[in-house]
Amino acid sequence: MELADKAVGFLLSYISLSIFTYYTFWVIILPFVNNDHFIHRYFLPQEYAILIPVFAGMVLLCFLCIFIGYVMLKSKKKKA
Amino acid sequence: MKHIVKILTLLVAISALWIGLLQTSIIPRSHTWLLPIYFIVSLGCYGLLMVGVGLMQFPTCPQEAVLLQQDIAEAKDFLKQKGVDVGGCD
Repeated sequence: MELADKAVGFLLSYISLSIFTYYTFWVIILPFVNNDHFIHRYFLPQEYAILIPVFAGMVLLCFLCIFIGYVMLKSKKKKA
Repeated sequence: MKHIVKILTLLVAISALWIGLLQTSIIPRSHTWLLPIYFIVSLGCYGLLMVGVGLMQFPTCPQEAVLLQQDIAEAKDFLKQKGVDVGGCD
């Protein structure tokens, strides 16, 4: 049982560290690199560095609103 | 009330710092525009990292689990003798 917990914890920390390093590279280091360096092929164009977090934030907000609305509707139906 | 005031002053200080950075352009301009989003993303990453690390270091105490099961069995026997229904939850 604790092995499953450890595996999930390790997976979560690995995902967070990889997202952090990729994003740091993308936003901070890449603008200083020459445009014909090979590393630019591994990274999307710079506009996506802003679009993807904003889009993810919007999706999270929508999901929260839908969830709250659903719970409220269910409780109201149970009371009636 | 004091907690919200503290958080608001922190936010105002950070935005003042950011506007100051924009005006004096110590860092190149494009970087300064991206800084707030970068900090939000890194804050989310940090939270996820703390959750993962906490999961990995969770202490389990197997001996306490065995003692707890013994306590539960004892309590069930006692209550069954007294006539209380201990058939588990539904």
